[in-house]
Amino acid sequence: MMKFLTIVVLAGFIALSLGIHFSYAGEVDVLLQKLVDKGILTSGEAQEIKTETQEQVKKEISRGKYSSLPAWVQNTKIKGDLRLRYQYKNEKAINGYAKDTQVGRLRARLGLESKINEKLLAGIGIATGSGDPRSTNVTFGDTNTSSGGDGGYSSKFSIRLDYAYAKYSPLSWLNLVGGKMLLNDTLWEPTDLIWDTDITPEGGIIQLSKNLGPNASVFMNGGALIETADTSTNADTMMAYLIQPGINYKLNDTISVKGAFTYYDFSNAKNSAFPTASWYKSTNSKLGTNWQYGFRMISPALEFKVMQPFKAIGLDIETFKLFGEYVNNLAVSAKNTGFSTGFQFGNDKIEKWGDWQFRYIYAMLEKDAVPDFLPDSDRYGGKTGIRSHEGIISYGLGKNTSLALDIYRSWNIIGTSTKAPETLVQADWNMKF
Amino acid sequence: MKSLRESILLASIVLGLIVPCYAEKMIIEGSTTVLPIAQKAAEVFMSNDSAADISVRGGGSGVGIASIIDGTCDIGDSSRSIKDGELDRAAVLGRDIKAHVVAMDGIAVIVNKLNKINALSKKQLKDIYTGRISNWKDVGGSDEKIVVISRDSSSGTFEAFGTLALEGAKVRSDALMQASNQAVASTVGRAPQAIGYVGLGFMSGEVKAVEYEGVVPSKETVLTGKYLLGRPLFMYTNGVPKGLVKEFIDFVKSPEGQKLAEEEGFVALR
Repeated sequence: MMKFLTIVVLAGFIALSLGIHFSYAGEVDVLLQKLVDKGILTSGEAQEIKTETQEQVKKEISRGKYSSLPAWVQNTKIKGDLRLRYQYKNEKAINGYAKDTQVGRLRARLGLESKINEKLLAGIGIATGSGDPRSTNVTFGDTNTSSGGDGGYSSKFSIRLDYAYAKYSPLSWLNLVGGKMLLNDTLWEPTDLIWDTDITPEGGIIQLSKNLGPNASVFMNGGALIETADTSTNADTMMAYLIQPGINYKLNDTISVKGAFTYYDFSNAKNSAFPTASWYKSTNSKLGTNWQYGFRMISPALEFKVMQPFKAIGLDIETFKLFGEYVNNLAVSAKNTGFSTGFQFGNDKIEKWGDWQFRYIYAMLEKDAVPDFLPDSDRYGGKTGIRSHEGIISYGLGKNTSLALDIYRSWNIIGTSTKAPETLVQADWNMKF
Repeated sequence: MKSLRESILLASIVLGLIVPCYAEKMIIEGSTTVLPIAQKAAEVFMSNDSAADISVRGGGSGVGIASIIDGTCDIGDSSRSIKDGELDRAAVLGRDIKAHVVAMDGIAVIVNKLNKINALSKKQLKDIYTGRISNWKDVGGSDEKIVVISRDSSSGTFEAFGTLALEGAKVRSDALMQASNQAVASTVGRAPQAIGYVGLGFMSGEVKAVEYEGVVPSKETVLTGKYLLGRPLFMYTNGVPKGLVKEFIDFVKSPEGQKLAEEEGFVALR
């Protein structure tokens, strides 16, 4: 009897969900109530039938959405984002000359990730940009084509291949990634002290991960990245080898820690020719047109996170993070270290109206601590030999859209002459889909 | 005789080692509201069936649903309905998530037993929790600041209360968040100006449930839907349950299982 009644009610709900216009929801409730009144069902049984049937209909509608689509669509996720930026920069050069610039910029990115089979994913992404590995921004009205501008006067912007990779997961604890990869798939770092977040490294990475019980997991990233592949001369390829073991540990329901230790070896960096592209800002020590020193770096990093840290005093702040990383280039004995430290509080992610987050980073990078084509390009132009303060405030305007204000105040620390301070203000409107 | 005793002893030892290897294992994970029902039912079930090995964990409704979709548990407990996004993910992964209603729960709005307020309307409760009303005198009580107690956002009880009572509005920023139903009841029981909400099974002697929209929360009013803050409690399975999972779900829904749910303070379906 229960099964027959369930089928009748299910048919009614499906009809309702397909948009047949009679007030069936109310009539189904009336039907069930009549059955209760007649003693055929108890109130509990009626509630059980009604609820389980509603759940079944929801599930069928969801499955219907997917089964009517072709398999390749079902297996492919498309995502992208658009960022509009106002940027103000005040630079005081070494000779005391001050310069103010104001520009409008945009970044547009579109990517797809497709499941080739149960164990293989492929990802491809395109983005605006001029070829600078540390930026996908384009500047409105940039007439300086020799430094990456598209010509101004409403010229069309260039679109580049941002990433293209394959990710093979033969086992639940092992991923093999290769191609032009996302930085997140290559390594973990809590700040952009060493790597600008727009860099998409080329090469191959092995990712290992293992749970050690309900509160801890370990991971290891390791691989080889290709920095140069000059096949026209006898020059050796510059490769970056890295290995990064790390751990995630949950101290309790609200406090967690993530840490990693990374070793980098940029083989053949010493005596290699440095880049001649317009995006490159040379600050490492050089002998003529070649790097004077190699780069073999160690870098420990730590991030400490607390959920609802101020609950005891009635303040509703979702998360608080403290983080830091340090780098030491073992291949050189002076001006070879750097560190960043900072904190973040507010919502962990900006997902809806009213979500907010404040983040502060202090960074110092000596002249030869890291290769000068890697660090965050907004922090004093991506140069080494700098100190910098950065504050970012983000605010959610609604689902998938937010505003952000990012301010850098940076100085040169190379030599004993003027600091040549720079202030960079970036106001962003972010939209993603 | 001696060799017979030794043989029996040896057989017992061997069986004692072998049987656990063949014990049927099952993992239940999810809602902390459903947890007492799952734990009690598992205890009684295992006492009746020594071959069953059932592990019961909390973690929250979201964890329970995610685990059943990922296939890392056999039954996912939840005090809320599965969301559309979760259903979509299940569809992509080819999972057939089936809902089983195992009991009903009423969310009782509680005040300290010394509070003279005995009833609140939907608007009054919403205004208290969203910050529009901050003094008991504005709802017919004494001239005292209202101490608002709520649950943290990972709780299914919080989600249900937020949907049913607050219609999605944000809880006031000065509300004190508690991590469990027991903690809410305990806090309201100690603070005469406090207001909170708990599952019906978590009432204590120091608090009283107020009428909500003129209806007192009870088994009858929750089952008939007259009490508007009622909600079903779910156990989700991957597909139509079979074997030990089916036997356990059938047990929970049986009169014996429903009696256990009632003893834990929930509203039985039978």
